[in-house]
Amino acid sequence: MLTLVLVLLTASAAAADRSATVGPPPELPHTGGEYAGPTDPLPRPEEDRHHGGGYRVVQWEWTYVQTPYVIAVWLLLASVAKILFHLSQRFTTVVPESCMLILLGLVLGGLVLLANKKQLYQLEPALFFLFLLPTIVGDAGYFMPSRLFFDNLGAILMYAVVGTLWNAFCTGFGLHAAKMLGVIDERVQANLMDFLLFGALISAVDPVAVLAVFEEVQVNDMLFIIVFGESLLNDAVTVVLYKVYISFVEVGPENVQTADYFKGVASFLIVSVGGTLVGLVFAVILGFITRFTKKVRIIEPLFVFLLVYLAYLTAELCSLSSILSMTFCGIGANKYVEANISQKSRTTVKYTMKTLASIAETIIFIFLGISAVDKSKWAWDTGLVSCTLVFIFIFRAMGVVGQTWILNRFRLVPLEKIDQVVMSYGGLRGAVAFALVVLLDGERVKAKDYFVATTIVVVFFTVMFQGLTIKPLVEWLKVPRSTNRKPTINEEIHERAFDHILTAVEDIAGLQGYHHWRDKWEQFDKNYLSKLLLRKSVYRKSELWEAYQKINIRDAISVIDQGGNLLTPARLSLPSMASRSSFPSMASRTSFAEATNVTNYLRENGSGVCLDLQVINIVPGGKVEEEMETHHVLAENLYKPRRRYHSHYSRHFMSAGEKERQDREVFQRNMKSRMETFKSGRPKRHKKERSLKKRRGSDVKEDAGDKPRRNVSWQDKDPVVVPVESEEEKGEADKEEDVGITFIAGKVETPKHRPFSVSMSPPTIGDSHLPWKGGVSSPPPCVSLEATKVIPVDLQQAWNQSISSLESISSPPAPAEPFHPRIAALPRPRAARPASYTPPSSTWVGPASKAPTLASFRFSDKSREEEEEEAEDEASQEMKPLMSPLRPPSTAPPPPPLPGPASGSGRRRKPCVYLRSLVTAPPSGTDEPHTRGPTQL
Amino acid sequence: MGGSQARPEQNQYQDLVHKTGFSLEQIKNLHKRFRQLSENEETIRENLESVVSLANNPIKKQIIEAFFDKRNQGQDEAGSSQEIGFEQFLKVMAHFRPPTLKTSPEEREAMRKEKLRFLFNMHDTDSDGTITLAEYRTVVEELLSRSGTMGQEAARAIADAAMLEVASTNVPHMAPDDFYEGITFEHFEQILKGLEMESRMHIRFLDVDTTTMRCGKSTS
Repeated sequence: MLTLVLVLLTASAAAADRSATVGPPPELPHTGGEYAGPTDPLPRPEEDRHHGGGYRVVQWEWTYVQTPYVIAVWLLLASVAKILFHLSQRFTTVVPESCMLILLGLVLGGLVLLANKKQLYQLEPALFFLFLLPTIVGDAGYFMPSRLFFDNLGAILMYAVVGTLWNAFCTGFGLHAAKMLGVIDERVQANLMDFLLFGALISAVDPVAVLAVFEEVQVNDMLFIIVFGESLLNDAVTVVLYKVYISFVEVGPENVQTADYFKGVASFLIVSVGGTLVGLVFAVILGFITRFTKKVRIIEPLFVFLLVYLAYLTAELCSLSSILSMTFCGIGANKYVEANISQKSRTTVKYTMKTLASIAETIIFIFLGISAVDKSKWAWDTGLVSCTLVFIFIFRAMGVVGQTWILNRFRLVPLEKIDQVVMSYGGLRGAVAFALVVLLDGERVKAKDYFVATTIVVVFFTVMFQGLTIKPLVEWLKVPRSTNRKPTINEEIHERAFDHILTAVEDIAGLQGYHHWRDKWEQFDKNYLSKLLLRKSVYRKSELWEAYQKINIRDAISVIDQGGNLLTPARLSLPSMASRSSFPSMASRTSFAEATNVTNYLRENGSGVCLDLQVINIVPGGKVEEEMETHHVLAENLYKPRRRYHSHYSRHFMSAGEKERQDREVFQRNMKSRMETFKSGRPKRHKKERSLKKRRGSDVKEDAGDKPRRNVSWQDKDPVVVPVESEEEKGEADKEEDVGITFIAGKVETPKHRPFSVSMSPPTIGDSHLPWKGGVSSPPPCVSLEATKVIPVDLQQAWNQSISSLESISSPPAPAEPFHPRIAALPRPRAARPASYTPPSSTWVGPASKAPTLASFRFSDKSREEEEEEAEDEASQEMKPLMSPLRPPSTAPPPPPLPGPASGSGRRRKPCVYLRSLVTAPPSGTDEPHTRGPTQL
Repeated sequence: MGGSQARPEQNQYQDLVHKTGFSLEQIKNLHKRFRQLSENEETIRENLESVVSLANNPIKKQIIEAFFDKRNQGQDEAGSSQEIGFEQFLKVMAHFRPPTLKTSPEEREAMRKEKLRFLFNMHDTDSDGTITLAEYRTVVEELLSRSGTMGQEAARAIADAAMLEVASTNVPHMAPDDFYEGITFEHFEQILKGLEMESRMHIRFLDVDTTTMRCGKSTS
C-alpha cells in the first residue's frame, strides 16, 4: 500500500500548490463528505510549510502523517460510500454495488481532475497485486466451499485452462485479423504478438468482478462455484501467457524459437502446480501451527492471516501463480484451522477477512473508476474497442458451449442451456486485466495506451452493463437460485450416508470412480493428515458431529427468536422419552441415560448449547411458571450490576463479556443469600463439611474459607498479576460456582461450563493445582435426566437463575439429610488421590447405585491421565469430545429416574415432579452445597 | 467374454436393458463384474463380503443387505433373499443410474422416489414400513462407527435429534401423550425434500470395459 500512496503523495505534493486555491477547512476530510475527501488533505501541508519560522505551539505535521492519513481517509471514504449505497434497499437490489462504486470513482476522478488538471490516482498494479487482490483471494479461498469445489473440479479446471486459452488465442488472432482487414485503425501499432498479449490479459475472467456480481445475483451453488472457481484458477494461465508473450514481445516475434513454445508449456505446468504446492505447503504449516496455539488464543487469527498471505507472497516471489497458491492454502487449511482455533478466533478470522475483502473490493472499484478519468490514458480507437468487446463476448460464449458439450458427456449433473447462458454472460473482466495492462511497458508495446483504454472500456462494460443486466437475465431465465436454507440433521445424515453408499456401490460395481477416490482421500486424511494437523482433542470429532452441533446452535437460536415458547412437550414426544410420567420400559430408560450423556458432551463441547429435554419436559404448575416468568423479567430488566473495579484489561487475553459477568453476579448474589439462610439454619453441617474438606484437599488451606469473601471472580482479574493468595480466592470463587452448580445440576444443567468455556481467561496455577479444577473441567457423569431437545445456554442460564433464586427466596431449607452421598463416596478409593474432586452432579447420582460411583472413579482416573495435557487448558470444552468416548457408556449415564422411591435417599423422582419439588422445597441432595458454602466463607 | 454363448446372452441383455435402463455395454461390464464377484457362479451369496475396498466402509453391512433385499429387486414381498442372480444385482444397481439430459421431469421424479425408497428400505431393516428410533439409531451408529471413537452415545444423540426433527416437521401438533412411532415413507420423503437427490445419489457406470480402459474418461 505504501507504494501507491507514496506515488500518490509525491504527485499530490507537486499538485498542491496549484490546488491550494481550493483551500478547504482542515476538518473537511472528516466532515466534508466523501466527495471532497481525497483532494482535501493535500493542500494543507504546503500552506503550512510556507508559514514556517520560530517555535510554534501547534505544528502541522502533514508530511509526517501523510501516508497513513491518506490511506485512512480513502478507507473511510470507501466505507461511507458503502453505507450510502445501502441506504436504499430497493436501489441496491437493482444496481450492483460494483457499478455504483465505479460510478463513484468516476465522479471522484472527475473532481480530482478538475482540481488538479492531472489525475493523481490510479489503480497501481503493485498496490493491487500485493495488497488488494490477496485480501479478496484470501477470503475467497479460505471460505471456499471445498466439497462443492472439488466435486466440480473437473469442470472448473476445464473452463479455467482450456477456456482461458481458447479465449486468449481467439481474441488475439481475431484482433489481428481485424487489424489486417483494416477495422482497427492504423494508429494502433500492434503486431500479432501484441494482440496475443492483449488477448491473454483481457480474456481471463476476473475473480473480483465475478465475486462482486455473483454474490448479489445468488445463482445456484454449482453455477457459482464453476464460474468463480474458473476465475480463480485461470490465474495460472493468465500469468503464464502474459509472461510468455511479454518475453516474446521483448525479444521480438522473429527471434522466438520453437523451444520457447515448449518452455511456455513447461512454464505453465510449473507455475500452476508450483503455485498449488506452495499453497498446500503453507496450508500444512498453518494447520500445524494452530495445533499449538492453545495458550495464545489471542493471536490465532493472526497466524491465519499471515500464513495465507505468506503463501501468496511466496508464490509471487517465485513468480508462481499466487492466486492459486493462496486459494489452495485457504482451501487446504480451512478444515484443520477451523477445528483447531477457538470459537472466538474463528469469528475474528471470519469477520476480519470479510471486512478486508469487502473494503479491498470497494477500493478496487473506486480506483477503477478514478483511473478511467485520465486524459493521458485515453487513446481511443473505436475499431479496437468494439472488436474486443464483440470478440470476448462471442468467444466466451462459443468456448462455454463447446466445453460444456464435452463436459456434459462426463458430468453426472449436466450443465443445462440456461447455465451455459449465465456462464457466458458471467464472464466478467475486471481489475486484474486492468492492472496487467497498466504494467505493460509502453516502450515495447507501442499500442499500450490503446490497450489500456480498451481494457477500461471492457471492464466497465462487463462489470456495469453485464453486471447490471445479469440479474434480470437470471430471473428471466429462471436459473435455479441458491437457497440459504441450512440442511437439517436428517439431511446431514443422509449426505454422509450418500457418500458411503455411493462409494460402496462403486466398489461393488468394480468401478474406480470419483467416490472411490474421494473415499480413499478421506481415509488418508483421517489416518495421516488429521493426526498431524489437528489437536488431539479435536481430531476424533466427526464431521457429522460438528454439523450436528451447528444445527443445534441454529435451532437454539431459532428457539430464542421465537421467544422460547416452542418448547412444549407435545412437540417432543418420542418413544424413547415416551411417557415421562411412567417410564414404562427399561429401554426408554437407557435411552434417556444415553441421551443425557450426550448432553454433557454437547455442553462441554463448547457448543454453547445442550440437548436437554428435561427443561422441556418439566411442566411446572401454572403458579410456578408464572413466578419464573416474573423472575425472568426481573432478572433481566431490573438487574443493575454493582460497580467493580478490577483490572480487566489484558493484552493477552480477553476478559469475560458483560453478559457473563452479569450472570455470575446474579448467581453470586443468589448464592450469597442462600448461604446466609443456611448459615443461620444449620451450623452442624459446617463441621461435616469442614472435615470433608480436610480430607479432600491437601493443598487447600483450611482457613481459606474464613477469609472475608470478596466479590472476586477470577475471570475479571488480570491473570498475569494475580498473586498466589488471590488464586485461592479464585478457587473460592470457583468453588462457589461449583456449589451453585451442584445445586442446580440435579435439576437441569450445570452452568459450570460457562465461565470456563466462554472466557478466554488464562490458565492459572490454580487451575492445575486446585483439586476440583480437574473435576470441573471434565464432564460430570450426569447432568440431567432426559436430554433430547436443544436448549440454548442463555435460556439455561436464565432458567438456572430463576430456579436458584426461586429456591433461595421461597423455599425453607430442607431438613438436613443424615447421610450425605458425597461423604459416603469420598473417603473411599479416592483417598489415594486427594486431589480428585467428584463433580458435584455425580454426587447427586452417587447414592442411587454403584454405577455412578464407578463412573466418577473412572472419570477421575482418566482426568488424571490427561491432566498434563488438559489441566491448563482453560478452554477445556474442546477436550470433551475426546474424553467422553473413553468413558464407558454403561457407567456414565445416570441411572434413570425411577417412578417410585428408588434410591435410598428418596431423592429420585420423576423429573418433572422432582423439579417441582425442587422449586418448592429443595430435596436433601441439594443442600450439600449450601452447607459447604458457608464453611468456605 | 463368453463368445460361445453370445446369442442367448445377447437376448438376455436386451431384456435387461428394458428392465433396468442400463445400456448394453454397461450391462456387459456389470455382468463381467458380477461373475468376478460370484466367481463364475450364477448367483452371489456371501461374495460381496469379500470385496476388498468395502472393508473400510462404515455402512458395508447395510449396503450388502440392501443388495439382498427383495424390496430393492422389484419384488413386492419383503424380506431378504439368500442369493441374488445377475438380474437382481442389476436391478439394485439401477437405483444409482444417473439421469440423462433426456430424462423428463416425471421420470426424474420417479427416479428420485426410487432412490428414496432404496434409502428407506436400507434403514427399515425389519421391513415393517417404518423406521423406528432403534433402526435409525443403528443407521447413525454405523455411519459414525468409523469416525473415531465418538461412539454410540453421540450416534444416539444425533439419531434422537434427527428423529425429533422428523417428528416435529411431520407431526407438528402432537398431543402430549402421543409418541412418534417411526418414520413412514411419506415422512421420509418429506424430510429429505430439500436434499438434492438428483445430483447426488448416483454413480457413473462406464460404458467401456474398465479392465482395458483404466482412465475412464472416454465414452464409447
